[in-house]
Amino acid sequence: MSLSRRDALRRLALGSGGSAALAVRGLEARAAGRRVGGQTADVARVTPRSAAIRLNSNENPLGPSAAALRAIERAFTSAGRYPMNARPATDDLRALIARKHGVRPEEIALGAGSGEILDSAVRAFTSGARGLVAGLPTFEAPARVARAIQSPVVEVPLDERGRLDLAGMVRASPGAGLVFICNPNNPTGTIQSATAIAHAVQGILGASPETIVLVDEAYHDYVGDPSYATALPLVRRHRQLIVSRTLSKAHGMAGLRVGYAVAARQTIERLEGWNMPFNVSTLTVAAAAASLADEPQIARERQRNAEALQETVRFFQAAGMTATDSQANFVWVNLGRPAQAFREACEQRGILVGRSFPPLDQTHCRISIGTMEEMQRAFRVFRTVLALPPATVAGGRAIAS
Amino acid sequence: MTPDLRTRVGRRAFTATAGLGAAALSLRVLDGGRVVGPWTRSFGDELYAAGPAATILLHNNENPLGPGERAITAIRAQLSDPGIPAARYTSLVPDLSDALAARHRCRPENVLVGCGSTQILRSATFAYASAARPLVAGSPTYEECAGVARLIGAPIRAVPGRPTLHHDLEAMIAAANGAGMVFFDNPGNPAATVHGAADVASFVERVLRASPGTTILFDEAYHDYVTDPAYRTQIPLALHTPRVIVARTFSKAYGMAGLRVGYAIAHVDTIARMRALQYPSSTNALGLAAALATLADDERLAAEQRRNAEVRAFTLDWFRQAGCTPTESQANFVFVNVGRPARGVREACARQGVLVGRDFPPYERTHVRISIGTAEEMRRATEVFGRLLGHGKTRPRKNTGHGITATEKHG
Repeated sequence: MSLSRRDALRRLALGSGGSAALAVRGLEARAAGRRVGGQTADVARVTPRSAAIRLNSNENPLGPSAAALRAIERAFTSAGRYPMNARPATDDLRALIARKHGVRPEEIALGAGSGEILDSAVRAFTSGARGLVAGLPTFEAPARVARAIQSPVVEVPLDERGRLDLAGMVRASPGAGLVFICNPNNPTGTIQSATAIAHAVQGILGASPETIVLVDEAYHDYVGDPSYATALPLVRRHRQLIVSRTLSKAHGMAGLRVGYAVAARQTIERLEGWNMPFNVSTLTVAAAAASLADEPQIARERQRNAEALQETVRFFQAAGMTATDSQANFVWVNLGRPAQAFREACEQRGILVGRSFPPLDQTHCRISIGTMEEMQRAFRVFRTVLALPPATVAGGRAIAS
Repeated sequence: MTPDLRTRVGRRAFTATAGLGAAALSLRVLDGGRVVGPWTRSFGDELYAAGPAATILLHNNENPLGPGERAITAIRAQLSDPGIPAARYTSLVPDLSDALAARHRCRPENVLVGCGSTQILRSATFAYASAARPLVAGSPTYEECAGVARLIGAPIRAVPGRPTLHHDLEAMIAAANGAGMVFFDNPGNPAATVHGAADVASFVERVLRASPGTTILFDEAYHDYVTDPAYRTQIPLALHTPRVIVARTFSKAYGMAGLRVGYAIAHVDTIARMRALQYPSSTNALGLAAALATLADDERLAAEQRRNAEVRAFTLDWFRQAGCTPTESQANFVFVNVGRPARGVREACARQGVLVGRDFPPYERTHVRISIGTAEEMRRATEVFGRLLGHGKTRPRKNTGHGITATEKHG
């Protein structure tokens, strides 16, 4: 937890008047309980799920910035008002995002997380006659919605390095309603370069001009590879292109539910009709506006994640396991064993890791990047579960399985 | 439930100065009632309002007192929790479903939590209306289901209300034949009227018998504001038949319009069908925590019902004395025949710092929907209405003798 966040928490607790002392005590007691639980193997074995280290949902373990927390506090007076009547209002957030990306407010749609953008895009642009094209494995929500509304789904397997097979997706696209390009891809963490994405978008829309391409950049803020760049500039050239972003990842707001889409005005209008009205809460609007205005925190978070990610990749390499070249806040590791058994064994020891991603669920597991301290504790559990000898990490030997 | 389908920026915007004392702000009021203030210009501290709002917001049926201390305390507890729930997808939805099930004496599988009841209305329409299965709704009514029906290509059978602005139940029964879903808001929005338990029971019985493929969605967003003893919730019925759904919200009497929590109560199979078509990650940790903390706060609910009923009586009385005809309101708003187009009234009121409801065709030439604010807000608002409606009418008395008490300070 950063100092500024601690400071904000303390002020929050003090702001609650009579219950201040109680709140601070409760916070410290629970924090202490967590430390004890993690350091004693016997205690850790019975760690309740709520106290576990959560490496299962690609969240930012530090949470919202101090500025965002202060903004929530100041927005309490608007909690009874619909988000368009609050201060700041939904339109203020939209205007801020538009300014940030150099587009017009009507080229932005807000969502309750970028998940809503993906959900609405599938409903708006696919049908029984015009299907969805997506990678396999990739973030599953679009395919799930497509199946629920009986739109056909074409899943294009990833390449041998765990990257989206863009050429294969271009070939599958003619006549499709929507092509979902998750970059970096979840669960593999791999990216496709700016050039490759531009080429693919051109290829899809050149051959199938009515198709909509959705580039999901949920993990944009974590990418370090210099060949990567956002697809946002392509929105100018392609009316059929949508780029989605979320504040659930680097901004640490998964629980607050806000994301957005950038696209040409006509495309935003088609998409937004499918979004819920009043989809972003008044408090979340305030938090998001404050967080987006605080760019240095994202650089700090990128650095923090990169360091813990590097340690994690090193750990698995030393264990003789291969991980993809992740550019996100998670790793995709070939454990050589089913994800489910590994996940259950880890959960018993207080570490939650990612769900199964068929068809690679018999070998691979997705592990989110927590704080360095959380990762060190997780490594101890992984070593036990994977039956690695204690010296394995230093020696870098392959495990016997 | 939510008041406005979707306020879009209109082509015509005009500038209004809210001349309400020293705190006057220069406000731009856009078509559709959306207010844009100076806080749009930058994103520093000046974003946040300091002191009392200069504009009286009577356009979205919000509870002017907000969610109250218990909710705010629960939100603060979320924000200071070392597990940082705001950072996590893990959600309190199962906890809230359990609490709602306990309150409504059903199982958690009978509960579907949504991003306001708006999302519930959408999910029900996705599940039960289609190109082959029309939507039946009153006219005027809350527009969300019709909006979704248009998206999915479901025909809409709009049934005009009776002269009292009650739903025309006979006509709705006839229209329900072969329909996928009937939307029945009780109390109605914008009409504010209710239908008594006996009429509703007979309506349901006849629809279910005559049209076996039809599901009825009762929108009880304003349930907590009803004082008419003839009214009953349809939750017990919804638990017994798979073809009745009840939608509720925390946006109204609970004062949480900004926090986005609502829910459906229905048969397990019905909930499962709606859930399969509902965007799942729609609710936020802070709203859920606030809803959990206040769900069983019956004392505050009762106080809010009393407060609203008193201010509502004052407002209805004022309009009657001004020569206007309001409907028999059982909600936190009134629907008044002011004998002139709503738009002109809305724009003139906005120029004087009072925002009132949008157009509700086919009544937009005569009726205005006005939400119930605090007693002080309604006193100030009726002064504005008086100046506006004064021409050719009896000048309404400012003091009607109705006891506007300090109840509004509660919570």
